[in-house]
Amino acid sequence: MQASQIIHAYKQAPWRVQRQYVAASLLALVVLALVAALYLDVTSRTALAGREIQELRGQIVVLQRSNADLETELADLTSSAVMQQRALQLGYRPLKPGELEYIFVPGYVAPEPDILLAAVDAPLQPNPLPDVYSQSLLEWLDERLKSGGVR
Amino acid sequence: MRQQYAVRSMFLAAVLAMVAMGILAQMIRIQNSEQAKQLLKYGDLLAGEFRTFQPERGEIYDRNGHLLAGNRTVYEVGVSLEEMEDVDALAYVLGVYLQMTEAEVKDKLLHSPETWTYVVIKDYVDAATVNVLQEVLKRLEEEDDHRLDGLGFKPHFTRSYPEKTLASNILGFVARDGRGYFGVEEKYNDLLAGNPVKIWVPRDPNKAVDIPKIPNGTTLVLTLNRDLQAKVEKILDQSIIEYGAKNGTIIVMDPKTGEILAMASTPRMDLNNYTDYFKIFDDGSAYNRSIGMAYEAGSVVKILTMAAALDTGTVTPETTYIDTGSITVGGITIQNWNRQPWGQRNMIECLQHSLNVCLAWVATQMGSLNFYSYMDRFGLGHRTGVDLADEAMGRLKVPGDSDWYPVDLGTNAFGQGVTVTPLQMMMAASAIANEGQMVTPHVLYAMLRDGHQYNVPSQYAGSPIKAETARILNEMLAVSLQNESANALLPGYRLAGKTGTAQIPTPLGYDPNHTNVSFIGWGPVDDPRFMIYVWLQEPTTSIWSSETAAPVFSQVAEQTVIALNIPPDLVRLQYGSR
Repeated sequence: MQASQIIHAYKQAPWRVQRQYVAASLLALVVLALVAALYLDVTSRTALAGREIQELRGQIVVLQRSNADLETELADLTSSAVMQQRALQLGYRPLKPGELEYIFVPGYVAPEPDILLAAVDAPLQPNPLPDVYSQSLLEWLDERLKSGGVR
Repeated sequence: MRQQYAVRSMFLAAVLAMVAMGILAQMIRIQNSEQAKQLLKYGDLLAGEFRTFQPERGEIYDRNGHLLAGNRTVYEVGVSLEEMEDVDALAYVLGVYLQMTEAEVKDKLLHSPETWTYVVIKDYVDAATVNVLQEVLKRLEEEDDHRLDGLGFKPHFTRSYPEKTLASNILGFVARDGRGYFGVEEKYNDLLAGNPVKIWVPRDPNKAVDIPKIPNGTTLVLTLNRDLQAKVEKILDQSIIEYGAKNGTIIVMDPKTGEILAMASTPRMDLNNYTDYFKIFDDGSAYNRSIGMAYEAGSVVKILTMAAALDTGTVTPETTYIDTGSITVGGITIQNWNRQPWGQRNMIECLQHSLNVCLAWVATQMGSLNFYSYMDRFGLGHRTGVDLADEAMGRLKVPGDSDWYPVDLGTNAFGQGVTVTPLQMMMAASAIANEGQMVTPHVLYAMLRDGHQYNVPSQYAGSPIKAETARILNEMLAVSLQNESANALLPGYRLAGKTGTAQIPTPLGYDPNHTNVSFIGWGPVDDPRFMIYVWLQEPTTSIWSSETAAPVFSQVAEQTVIALNIPPDLVRLQYGSR
């Protein structure tokens, strides 16, 4: 029997062909499992992030309410009537025009009313959600591959 | 043997296949059944909800950043009927804390429509009360007590006015329907309220949608000076008591820009208890008399007559008139306020002594065409366009109107038979104080939105008279005030102004015993920084403006120069010359 015939017989051995099929199937299974695990990981992270966003939104609303309440409370405590009463209690009294002394300051310009920083809204964000919360798995994979692989 | 196994295997496989087919068929049947459709529909309903996001109503500040109108959290207290365990316990606890009777609470809980799953027990409950209720709930939860199960609190904003009654006539108020009534709250309601946004919000965190940021309503900065407003209101309240007047109004305005620095009116109400409106006011026009109530202002109108006469060249300050005590216009005799002749007088003296006969003569010399043309240009009979709700128009009868008679030319010249609001008079007089240019009064200084401040520019409302005429009349009114009404003067400051005492028209003619007293003045004469209008309704201690409205003007001017940091003329001119 020639060596080439032996090699051919070895290659044709039924157990070897079966093992190739099994290996291929196992490989496919592993790939599927990997993809499934990856998908599960991404979706679970998305769900967690979504939940976190919901909670943060709730917190923002609570903080906004708290800010408005505190601002109103501060205004209550510094209202004209309260301040006048406190000034009188501290021994101050309204002054008369004759009691004022005016000093000439060359180049002085009376300031304009202050801009009310406390009342200013934060600038609008066109898209406050990062891409990671909205892109599909394929888009995410594509982005990762382009940026140098999956960490 | 092998064949026997093969048959058995085939049989088993067929049975299993049939079972599988059966399961599959059942699955398809269930998926397409009516119940499945209903369940899917129900599922969709629970998958999320349409939520309306109400923006926070914009705040209102005075020109120095003091909050005049803000927002605070209140709660809607309600019960989820599906989770409710003990009606008696809920009725008892809510009755005690929400100042309701147990029967009221029970009625709401037990007699709500069948489809309801949630019942509101009380809305606009303050945070302190809700905090106590939440503490009670927490304690019960710790003890595993479920008697108050179902009780819930929904927070939302309500309007809050930290200054209470201060500037209430200007601000107006927001009712529970979320709409502004009167004043700034009504005029700028759309800007302040912002735009509510309704969007579908899924409960599934995987479907977290991008909820857009809801911009708050626009915040407004008013031209008002809170501290000056407080002082002016105090002076007005004291004056009403001191002179026994029914009501009153005082306005302080910058005659160069039209910015209203203070606007006090009586009565006022605590805006946090806006339901008192119906107890305090009979009708809306009295809410802010400065703009809502037109009246016959009397002799203050003489300054407009004189302005028109000077501008047309009909008279000059030196023109003399021999006052015999009466003049006949349109067949009707007009007399002076004291029914006495005043002899030969120049135009300054005519203003100084407020001679009706002299001014009626001036109007007749000018002619009705000129006179009414000027009154129209001064804005009489038109709204000023002030940015406050519910402004009255006043009435200026003109030739051609069915109720206009030739005598009206004579009487209108000294302010009788013509109705104006205090702010209309100020707008007209601003032309005299401002080199002939009339300004539109306004209360809005700036708007704050999306991080930007938009300042509101001043608007001119025409030039009814020439600058030269304005300068001459300004000087005439300063001289006449010095000689006419010592009560109106403010030491150290040269002011211009005019008194006005007007009888009150009734269906039976003019009431001889009651008057409306007014005063309009401004200063410093060489560079007017403020203009003040005073109106006291039916004072009882004296019927004369020089004895009532004039001293009030002086007090307000005193406070105004302090608030605006205006040094006495001597100091100012000395510095100005450097």
